[in-house]
Amino acid sequence: MRKRDSRPGFSAALALVLAFLSCAAKADASEAPIPHGTIEIVAQNESIEPGRDFNIALHFQLDKGWHIYWANPGDSGEPPRVEWKMPKGVTAEEIEWPAPHRLGTPTIVDYGYEDAVTLIVPVRTEKNLAAQQSARIDAQVKVLICREMCIPGKAQLSLTLPIKSQTAAPNSKTAGLFAAARKSLPQHAPQGWKFSVDNTKSSFVLTGNVGRQTTRAIFFPLNESQIDNAAAQDLAPTDAGFRLTLRKSEQLLKPIARLKGVLVLSDDRAYWIDLPVNKPGAAQNNSGMNVEPQHFVKEGKKT
Amino acid sequence: MKRSIAYTMTIALILCLAPLLIAAARVGEAAPDFTATASNGKTVKLSANLGKYVVLEWHNNGCPYVGKQYNSGNMQRLQKQWTGRGVVWFTILSSAPGKQGYVTASEENDYMAKMHAMPTAALLDPTGEIGHLYDAKTSPQMVVINPQGVVIYDGAIDDKPTTDLNDVPGAINYVNLALEQSMAGKKVEIPATRPYGCSVKYAD
Repeated sequence: MRKRDSRPGFSAALALVLAFLSCAAKADASEAPIPHGTIEIVAQNESIEPGRDFNIALHFQLDKGWHIYWANPGDSGEPPRVEWKMPKGVTAEEIEWPAPHRLGTPTIVDYGYEDAVTLIVPVRTEKNLAAQQSARIDAQVKVLICREMCIPGKAQLSLTLPIKSQTAAPNSKTAGLFAAARKSLPQHAPQGWKFSVDNTKSSFVLTGNVGRQTTRAIFFPLNESQIDNAAAQDLAPTDAGFRLTLRKSEQLLKPIARLKGVLVLSDDRAYWIDLPVNKPGAAQNNSGMNVEPQHFVKEGKKT
Repeated sequence: MKRSIAYTMTIALILCLAPLLIAAARVGEAAPDFTATASNGKTVKLSANLGKYVVLEWHNNGCPYVGKQYNSGNMQRLQKQWTGRGVVWFTILSSAPGKQGYVTASEENDYMAKMHAMPTAALLDPTGEIGHLYDAKTSPQMVVINPQGVVIYDGAIDDKPTTDLNDVPGAINYVNLALEQSMAGKKVEIPATRPYGCSVKYAD
């Protein structure tokens, strides 16, 4: 426990001055420190072409052993939150989350990223963006960084890009970062693969038919309080795939209509899953649809 | 002969510990009983409080989510408000020695005095026995037990899983909700939530 200053007036004033100074000093910084790491904002292209969508990204570099969280943080923690300030006609979409990892202890399991992660954010632009001007993108990031303990971090990042009517050239300095980040994003399952989810009293059983025996499968639920994060996921390989038993969460008190999340298979590839949950006792629906919705947005409240 | 006595005793010990090990708290079921030493030196037994509502609050003074509740004065307000209405409030410290949030009895007493915390007692659980009994995942995880000894709420303190002090005023407090609804003879609308916060720092 860090000692707190016993003079709240003084420390509040000091904090204000420090906040102001750091704000003034880093008003245009594309990189900022956070506890045990740094965040950098990068763009995929050199410029903005009105009417053409493009990508920016937040790249987190963390000290060894420290982690941040996925969209569903699991048993503890919280995902990074970003407040964007963009010029009129430019809007940020939801973060594209790379496949997470299981972190934590045998009894408390979190979902997140260690060491480094790049969060891609697609940006939409309108056709009538005035050319020859530049667009300034501001991001206020709140992020919880944890190892044994957790430290909340805040960063103010900014990026200015020229607006040009010609085709935007890719930024050669960030190309590698974006390519690597794309590779870590969950994909839609290939055509021909079939999945289904059966509902038993204590578990969801995810059956996958992927054309070959699967010896490794880990499921990450997108929504909280559906499966028991810390419970072992019991994998039964089958001739054409697998059956994965996911113990239900103690906090799951009402039936759910769909199970959504990310499935990581033997080849380390990650796939989006969004499936209707079959009623208990219903015949196993092995021709279950492999539904591919456009957006994987968490259900429930947003804070 | 000696060996068979030891053997029998081991089996007996396993048998009597077994319910303890598997009987994690569940909403709607009896709250597992425990005995603990409080920071004030007293011995506390949960089942001695049958007939009263009991709140369990998992605590770690270095956790920023706990900091949000205490630095805003919210946790102390809740403790004062509910103990004033006859509710028994136990703050539970399940951090293992050497881990964040582990404190000695006198350190906890100093902390409570400084923060003006007002639980009925702060229970020292350095072995994590009570934490595991309730499958406590985070601080500040909250459990509410009714006068019949049944768990009626288990989960987060409120609906704002952040470390931001500004999120305290507008939050829906699940402990208040459970206590108010249960005391009014109503069904507890939200009996379980994801207990956000820092992971409980159990022994490795």
